[in-house]
Order: sequence, then structure tokens, then C-alpha cells
Amino acid sequence: MKLSFYPGCSLEGMANDYCESIYAVFKTLGIDLVEIEDWSCCGATAAHSLSEIMSVILPARNLAAAEKMGLDIICPCSLCFNRLRFSQKMIKKKIFHIPWQVTGDIRVLDMTRFLAKPSIIQLIKQCILKPLDSLKVVCYYGCQMVRPPKITGYADYENPQTLDRISAAAGARVLDWSYKSTCCGASIGIGRREIVEFLSKRILQKSRQAGAEAIVVSCPLCQSNLDIVQKDRSDTPTPIFYVTELLRLSFKDKGNPKWFKMHVADPVPVLKAKGLL
Amino acid sequence: MHTSTSDPETATEHDPCEQRELIGDRGDYFLNRIQGETGVNVSACYQCERCTNACPISQFMDIKPHQIIRYVQLGWRIRLLKSSTIWICLSCEMCTTYCPNEVDVAEIINHLRMMAASSSIAPKEKSLAVFHQTFLEELIKSGRVNEFRLMRAYYSKPDILHEKIKNGTFKQELQLAMTLFRKGRLKLSAPKSKAVKEIQKAYSQTRGEII
Ligand code: SF4
Ligand code: SF4
Repeated sequence: MKLSFYPGCSLEGMANDYCESIYAVFKTLGIDLVEIEDWSCCGATAAHSLSEIMSVILPARNLAAAEKMGLDIICPCSLCFNRLRFSQKMIKKKIFHIPWQVTGDIRVLDMTRFLAKPSIIQLIKQCILKPLDSLKVVCYYGCQMVRPPKITGYADYENPQTLDRISAAAGARVLDWSYKSTCCGASIGIGRREIVEFLSKRILQKSRQAGAEAIVVSCPLCQSNLDIVQKDRSDTPTPIFYVTELLRLSFKDKGNPKWFKMHVADPVPVLKAKGLL
Repeated sequence: MHTSTSDPETATEHDPCEQRELIGDRGDYFLNRIQGETGVNVSACYQCERCTNACPISQFMDIKPHQIIRYVQLGWRIRLLKSSTIWICLSCEMCTTYCPNEVDVAEIINHLRMMAASSSIAPKEKSLAVFHQTFLEELIKSGRVNEFRLMRAYYSKPDILHEKIKNGTFKQELQLAMTLFRKGRLKLSAPKSKAVKEIQKAYSQTRGEII
């Protein structure tokens, strides 16, 4: 199987550990990821906030490139995914002039939805060497991956299941909680730190109340917000795992153990206590 | 009957009588404009406040989401564009998702933000507005955005550094940057996308430049 891969700027910078784990997991699963050649930024919140036309044509350039390759797009970052989908919808409306040749017919999949397909879950289960059954986790989806449902195509936006299914396949004990898709504050910390702290701390606190020892995410911004807010804590940290990192732990290909060190909330104590290291 | 002659749009003090004053002299021009540009049926709102209840940060807002919709109906343009709400809204889409009348509240707020950005009104949340602007500039410059270069450009903007030092966040952010750098998460540079020229051309065209 072959898919085109749109990493996005975060995975080249702050979330380079995420990118590495994605390639490792897909390699184990035997699925080919071809990076979209010469991809460019999707425009993120800035284009969305300041210029409607840029928020359509910036993602369109990457859609055009993937169409040329003829491969469906896998997108690990929730915001990029949302922006690509939005652009696709606008292209179809044919109200904007797009400087690139693009039809918007290619499929854009968020990575978790692809991994949660029954056939891929089967594949994942076959690759598991060390199930994580002693690890209690909650899954956190954030906003952009599930909302607005008209763009993302999530029918179960109130209680999404993709990350839950993948984590369960890796053998983790997935707990239920009500904060799956409550906003973490996104990039508001740039100007109003108190808002991001209020939102992220609440999510952390609720995850602990649910009994979770770790949180599973797929969005780089959610990861860094929930991770960084634990900077000054002295008690046992709640590690924030990318879903592919969790899979990697159970695949027994931990890769370069350096990736543990890239987390602010150190995952080592929890994993040691659980006998997973 | 109350007969104030002041313009309700520009009234800043919250005199309840002033607030009750009806639509400005341009009638429902503003409402029609917003509805036409966004395709959202603002008139369908019946002020149930479900959007505000769903919003995770309504307590930080000066104009709550349901009030935003009401003010649009009333044509209170300046009051809206001067608000802090249009800049701190997270586009988390909770309001839109739960509105019983399919009023796309988040889209309206985003549209007001775009209007404010191209108006002569100074943004209430300057640090956020400047951040978006810097992000777009960095993107146009290299096709992709690198966090380190973005933050460097952001801090070199007039007043930003000064303000951050004044309110004490600069030290925190510097410490954070150091931590992230030590952890190998802050990359000092990123490859440029070869598409820079194309993107720059498209960008200048959207701004009405011919070549
Ligand atoms: S939820 Fe919809 S109808 Fe209710 S106040 Fe908000 S915009 Fe109006
Ligand atoms: S999109 Fe904005 S107004 Fe709507 S719920 Fe989210 S933060 Fe509140």
C-alpha cells in the first residue's frame, strides 16, 4: 500500500519526534509513505484569521501536488488536516481562482482514522510484541480533528473513537472521560498565557480524575500544550504520548531511546513502574 | 422615551439605555453584508445562549458569543471590531457545532477578525494580531514556518519585546525556549520550500498587485 504524506511544519520542528515515530510505525506495518514533494505550509491559524483566499490556496498547492502523485493524503497534524479539508471543500465550490491545477478529488485522511480502519487494526495487532495492558490511558482528540463535523467528516464528534481503538489494539487500558475534544488553547499562549494554562491544566486534572497514567494524542499542538504546562510540576508527571509512540512501545522497536528525553513530562517513571521499559 | 443623540456604535460606557438604542442609520447594511460574505444566516439566532455555554473561554471574553451574533444583527460594527473576543476566540468550533439554528458563530467571529485586520481600528489584543501577521510573513518568505525563526521575527516587531518584558512573560518564554532547545525540540532552521516564488506571486495577486 502506498500513500502520500503531508507532514506539515510542526513535524519538521517541535514535533520532529512525532515524525520519526510515524515513519517507524508505518515501516513496521509495511505501508509506504511518500512525502509530498516540495510541500508548503497550510497557512494554519494565521491565514485562516487574516485572509480567506490565502487559507484556500495555500493548502490547495499541496492538494495539487498529491493529485499529481495520484495518492491519497495521510495527515498527522489535526490543524493541517482541517485546513486541507476546508480548502478541498472551497475548491469544489469553484468560487475562488486557484493558481494551481487542482480538482479536490483526492482523499484527505487524518492519520488516526486511517490507522483505526478494521483492516489496519488487524495489521497492528499482528505486529504487537509487548502489549501495554498495565498502562491506563485516556485519549485526547482536541478540536480541529473532529470539528466542525461538516468539514472533518466525523459523525461521532462528541465521542470520537479512533485513538481509543488504536490504543486498545496496542493493549493499553483505555478509560472513558468527558474531555476528549475540549480545546487545549491552541496558540493563544503567545498573547494570553493564562488562557492556555487554564484550559490545559483542566484537561490534565480531569485525566487524572479519570485514573489515567498517560494521555494519548495525535495533534502536535495539543501535545506541546499539555506537555509544557507540566514544566514546573513536582509530582509524577502525566506523559503525553503521540499515538505512534504508544504503538512503537508495544512493537518493541523503541528506536533511538532519545525520544523519551524530548518530552517535558518525563515518561520514564510511569513506564518503569509499569514494567514497560 | 429615551432620546440620546450619541451613536450607539461608538458608545463606550455601558449605559443600559444607550445599549437599547436600535440599529444605526445605515439600517441593516452591516447585517446584510456579513450574511452575504459568509453565507451564514445570522437572523436565525434566537439568543438561546447555547454557543456561549459551549464556549470554553467565554469567561475571558468581553463580548460573549451570543452577544456577538446579536450585535451583528444590530449593526454595531465598531463595538465588534474593537472587542477582544474576535482575537482570543480559539476557532474551536464548539459554538458552531452546538447551535440549534446552524448559525456558524465561529465563522462570524473569524470573519469579524479579518474585517478588523483590514480596518483602521487598532486590535484590542495586539500581541495576538501581530503574531498572526508575523506567521503569514514568515510563511510567504520561506514557504514553510520554522518555530525559532517565527519567534525571532515576532520579537523584533515594534513594542512586542517591550510589552513582554513589562508584563514579565519574556523571562518565562526564554526559559521555555531554552528547555525546548536542550530537549532537541527547537530546530534553528528548516528547509525552504522550493515553491516560495509561486506562493509569493499568488500572495501579491490576492492583494491586488498585477505582477
Ligand atoms: S446557539 Fe445559535 S441560536 Fe443560540 S444564541 Fe448562539 S447563535 Fe444564537
Ligand atoms: S470558536 Fe471561539 S467562540 Fe466558538 S466556542 Fe470556540 S472559542 Fe468560543
